[in-house]
Amino acid sequence: MGGYNSMNQPAASVRDEQKKDSFGAKLAKLLSDFSVHYMWEKKWFFIAMIVGAIMLSLPVPDGLSREAWIVLTMSLVATILFVTEPIPLPAVALLIILGQVLLLGSASSDVAKSLWNDSVLFIMGSLMLAVAVVKQKLDKRIAWIIVRITGTKTTRICFGISVVSGLLASFIGEHTVAAMMLPVGITLVTLTSDDPKKVRNLAAVLLFSIAYGCSVAGIGTPSGGARNAIMIGYWREFFYDPSNPETQRFIIDYVTWMMFAYPMFLIQLPFVTLILFLTFKPEYRDLSRAVVKLRAQVESEGPMKAADWVSIILFLLVLIGWIFVSDEVGMGTIAILGATAFLVAGLVRWEDINSGVNWGVVFLYGAAISLGIEMKETGAAQWVAENFLAMLAPIGANEGFGLWAAVSVLTTAVTNMMSNGAAVAVLGPVVLKVAVVAQESPIVIGFITAISSAFAYLTVVGTPACTIVYASGYLKTTDFLAVGWKMVVVSTIIMLLAAFVYWPFLGI
Amino acid sequence: MAETDIDLERLYEERRARYRVLVCVDGSDESYRGLEYASQLANNPNSDIILLYVRPIDQGLRSGGLQVRVARENMLSWGLELPGIKYLKKGLEQLMTGEGMASDWGEKITHTDIEGDPLGDNKIEYTNEGGRSIVLKLKTASTIAAGILDQYELGPYDLIILGDSGSWGGWAKSLWDPAVAEKVAMHAPCSVLVARELARGKGHLLCTDGSDHAMRMVKRSGVVAGKINSHLSVMSVALDVESEPDAQKNVDAAVTELKAMGVEPVNAFTRVGSPFEEIISAGEDYSFIVVGSDGRTGLKRFFMGSVAFKVMEHSKKSVIINR
Repeated sequence: MGGYNSMNQPAASVRDEQKKDSFGAKLAKLLSDFSVHYMWEKKWFFIAMIVGAIMLSLPVPDGLSREAWIVLTMSLVATILFVTEPIPLPAVALLIILGQVLLLGSASSDVAKSLWNDSVLFIMGSLMLAVAVVKQKLDKRIAWIIVRITGTKTTRICFGISVVSGLLASFIGEHTVAAMMLPVGITLVTLTSDDPKKVRNLAAVLLFSIAYGCSVAGIGTPSGGARNAIMIGYWREFFYDPSNPETQRFIIDYVTWMMFAYPMFLIQLPFVTLILFLTFKPEYRDLSRAVVKLRAQVESEGPMKAADWVSIILFLLVLIGWIFVSDEVGMGTIAILGATAFLVAGLVRWEDINSGVNWGVVFLYGAAISLGIEMKETGAAQWVAENFLAMLAPIGANEGFGLWAAVSVLTTAVTNMMSNGAAVAVLGPVVLKVAVVAQESPIVIGFITAISSAFAYLTVVGTPACTIVYASGYLKTTDFLAVGWKMVVVSTIIMLLAAFVYWPFLGI
Repeated sequence: MAETDIDLERLYEERRARYRVLVCVDGSDESYRGLEYASQLANNPNSDIILLYVRPIDQGLRSGGLQVRVARENMLSWGLELPGIKYLKKGLEQLMTGEGMASDWGEKITHTDIEGDPLGDNKIEYTNEGGRSIVLKLKTASTIAAGILDQYELGPYDLIILGDSGSWGGWAKSLWDPAVAEKVAMHAPCSVLVARELARGKGHLLCTDGSDHAMRMVKRSGVVAGKINSHLSVMSVALDVESEPDAQKNVDAAVTELKAMGVEPVNAFTRVGSPFEEIISAGEDYSFIVVGSDGRTGLKRFFMGSVAFKVMEHSKKSVIINR
């Protein structure tokens, strides 16, 4: 070992020299190291700020007010920050608030008020509900019900998992069900074989059945995902005028949404299993070994307890509330009521909710929606919409079917780069104005945007369900690309067909 | 406060006296081959091996506002292992079943919460009577590269070993999203081994330019080669034919140095041409390419784009950057 000690000699003497350095020199070195590293890590933050500063110092384009130009700049900067994430995303929300007060000159209290509305309340309430539902530990029972119905064949189990995950996710949100069902998928994999290399494809089909089953379901009802609630909020803010009964149709309630979107989710389901099995060839065609062991695990849980029944009943009540009374009291109120009921009944601890919900997200959506409404009020959305349409005109995509497809492709592209809720919050105001300028139905365009934002099958960050399933460590990012593009194509075709053939029957 | 400072100082001093190898495992075959190299290199009472798996901190927004930890806790309550632990255990198994490593190992488990996350950093330390230790460490960090570099801050290491994840790109790609190995190699203050297809037994190729730093590198490699019974070869590249005698002189100096240490180089040769292209083509016939890099830090290294980095980026062989 003598060699190593002698090797350490020069290094040690360097350290001694450093100790002798004056304090000032040390500080300077520390600062320069720090600032270089800091600048490098935060480069996108500075790039975004410089882009913003340049835009603000340029002359305002024709047809735009100074305020609209500021709002547009803020949106662009926020979008860059959403995609590159150099700073925590809730900090972007804070920047939006600061920008509205300092750059736009809005009154602080007005900005504060615009942060909360029913959509944001709904996002917060359903996240709290989501934690409460996951904590009920009903997942083993659900898994057992699935395999009892489907038998032990791999194809049938995967289809069963997609259907059940989807049906649940369409009501309680995709992230909830993904978190609940993830252990089910992994347990089936690990009970089949301990060696991950032998079950790679099996793991892929099982886990993607959960992730995509949940993702396609997220469009089904307003409570399927935050983005749906955001779109409903935009429709109300943009088009509803209490003094004009004509505009009543822009209040989309729970049942109306389901009539539009639920059939699409059901049609997509079989394609999920089909595409997965065409892409990954699972190593095992039959999972009877795993199923037998799973049964033993479930039986050790004992019969259903009173608390299990109470939580199921509470959840059904929330569902009934959303369907029947949410137009009167608001969807957010029902979600909050449900979360409160779980807390009062003692079925979930506040500590669990507190650590399970990312409150920054609630905040972020509030700020993004507030900025979206400013986009409309200052006329910035109108201006972007006109330019967007002028751009599409040469390829004939400025009206009708072409426009629908263009909006869908735009949303799919954006949503694969950032979370889909943020994508809808950013794009919503623009596409709704596009609809107005092009004299298309804002409801059809709005649905196309909200639904296309679920087509983030390509990347891990796209949909919540994909992110959660990826956290299991069994999937590679390239798996998402390999199977995702097929899902995007099939889903887009199904949606455009629905918009073309089915929605006209609903009287839009 | 002062007392803990003294303790830390002492701990650092103790650590500096040992040869510590940090092996980053990510479940890939390359990372386990890197571990094999580490186990040969550190197979003596004065060396420690630290196995590290870095898990990126979960981003709540990406999972729709529901923290991923809800899913992780659910997995734990089913008795499932979190990703990473599996990889670390496999690495430990590989180490303990390896020759000469099987002896009595005591076990010590520590756990550190990271930002209130109960699934934060975990550490299992195995020590034997001789004072050697193997540490398994599961770390949470904002990015994988940052996690590895943070780990360096916690305790100095002599060598960091990484498997190459394969996604090296050009300058634009590095600017946008540098590969983990690239980032670590750029910022790490100690030697870095990027393990690629480790064809064993073909020896090390030392690339010298005659500088003091290169000579130190040669000296260290001599020690390492003796440890793992590997062959050594020396090369130097001349930019043009006129300066070839200089290159030959560099090679001769290195050979003399090695012979003085009792190591007989297999080949010693010079090439003429662009340094990094020649090194890469000559390196085809060896298991490892060893290059020296001077102590520049961070950005400077990035913008200067030294020969060492180009070799590291383009070679298909394992590369050791020696600092």
